[in-house]
Amino acid sequence: MFVSKSMTRKLITTTPETDVLTVGKMMKENQIRHIPVVDEGDILLGMVTDRDVRSAMSSVAHEDFDSKDERKKLSALTVKEIMTRDLVTVSPLHTLQDVLLLFQKHHYGALPVVDDKGVIKGIISIRDLVRAFINVMGIGEPGALLGIVAEDKLGQMKNIVDIITEENISMGSILVARHWEEGKRAVFPYLMTLNKARIKKKLEEAGYELLDPLEWHLDQLPRK
Amino acid sequence: MKRTGFLYDERYLYHDTGSYHPETSERLPAIYKGIEEGGLLEKVVLLKAKRADLKWIETVHSTDYIRRFEEVCLCGNTCLDSTDNQMCTETFDIAFLAVGGILDAARRVMEGELDNVFCAVRPPGHHAEHSQAMGFCYFNNVAICAKYLQIEFGVERVGIIDFDVHHGNATQNTFEHDPTVFYYSIHEHPSFAFPGTGREFEKGVGKGTGFTLNSPVLPGQGDQEYKKLIKKDFIPAFEKFKPQMILVSAGFDGHEDDDMSGIRLTTQWYTWMMEIIMNMAEKFCKGRLISILEGGYCIERLPELARNHIKVLLEEK
Ligand SMILES: [Zn+2]
Repeated sequence: MFVSKSMTRKLITTTPETDVLTVGKMMKENQIRHIPVVDEGDILLGMVTDRDVRSAMSSVAHEDFDSKDERKKLSALTVKEIMTRDLVTVSPLHTLQDVLLLFQKHHYGALPVVDDKGVIKGIISIRDLVRAFINVMGIGEPGALLGIVAEDKLGQMKNIVDIITEENISMGSILVARHWEEGKRAVFPYLMTLNKARIKKKLEEAGYELLDPLEWHLDQLPRK
Repeated sequence: MKRTGFLYDERYLYHDTGSYHPETSERLPAIYKGIEEGGLLEKVVLLKAKRADLKWIETVHSTDYIRRFEEVCLCGNTCLDSTDNQMCTETFDIAFLAVGGILDAARRVMEGELDNVFCAVRPPGHHAEHSQAMGFCYFNNVAICAKYLQIEFGVERVGIIDFDVHHGNATQNTFEHDPTVFYYSIHEHPSFAFPGTGREFEKGVGKGTGFTLNSPVLPGQGDQEYKKLIKKDFIPAFEKFKPQMILVSAGFDGHEDDDMSGIRLTTQWYTWMMEIIMNMAEKFCKGRLISILEGGYCIERLPELARNHIKVLLEEK
């Protein structure tokens, strides 16, 4: 799960000398909110966001209400004056897990991906992560989720997977909630089958407790 | 009393899904028995299967898929695309007979020979995608029927209601761009049930936006919630759309005794639902309606469910 596999490679970049109006137009036309700023060698110098552009525009507008003058000022204003230079970047060999934790820590919407020479390689956004995790969870393909309570001891997962495998059912994913009740885990296999009844019976016969779907409080797991 | 057709053919039993499969051939005799025991066989027109013309199946499925299905089947393979879809060497032919029987029924309704028909066919259809078998389904019977009505009889607005407990992913996909076919489905919530589609925000695409409507229902719910959503979603949508013909994807697997879902509908709910649909057909479609069997796996309950279904179609109280 490397960043290089999930990032957006088709990049729209700009230079430090570009004026703010042009950058604002680029964002609008391409429906993007982050544009990396690079030099002639594609070395990343900074990042300009739609918020930077908006606040630049409004500060000019406040100073002077004459729109002709306003435009003049804005076209004189260049990217290097409004871009963020102090950037958090990730490398193509960072993992999606790294990025997930970074997003949580810094409240970013997107991070530039640069190689060890500082050359921009792509950009990774929350959108890219969402796509990757839908893929990992398998929920883009038809299937059904099952909820199983298992004791927190060795070999439980193997048993569950064995039972599913014996039934010849493929799995889209298997999620584990490690903190459930005292000494218990909840296991959520995503099964690529319509025929859930039989596997449920098998699991019950093997002594597993099936979760009532309405007890699936994944969102009530411990918060930090 | 209505002139009601009942499509039933013993050849539909030859689609063999092996042992331990819920979509077993026992389902159809259970349906037949229920109708017979209700003394309704004399009141319906019994229709037999016909082989569908390939061109109609090609309105929904790719030629490559149809060919692949035939090859896999004739080679003696026992499943197609997923182990869910168990089959035998006859399955390909029987899938043609299911479609053909339905199209013949549709023709009779359009030509005024019958008011409505219940098509007790196997294999079911609403999960079968353009190029993929899925969820016990090979050809999308209801979608092909809608295409046939459009092309052969120029029906301008077809309304499909799917009350099988699973979302009819393939029917939705077939018509999501098409504003002339309205697809409404009520089913168990996709985060808990197969196939994982049919969320509230799936409302059609492009020109078809607003002509797909889904009512997902959380597990554990039953008649009350279903009735509430039918009144809130289905009725206003169809009253606005004014279909000229109604097709029903009739699946009985949301019944409380059916172990395919966590939805707990009673036998009475199905009667209530069909009465609503009949009223709708009366109001907009000159009473024309075709009901096509999808799921429903509780052999003990199928007789009464089928009997009540036919009673409503006959308007026999
Ligand atoms: Zn179903």
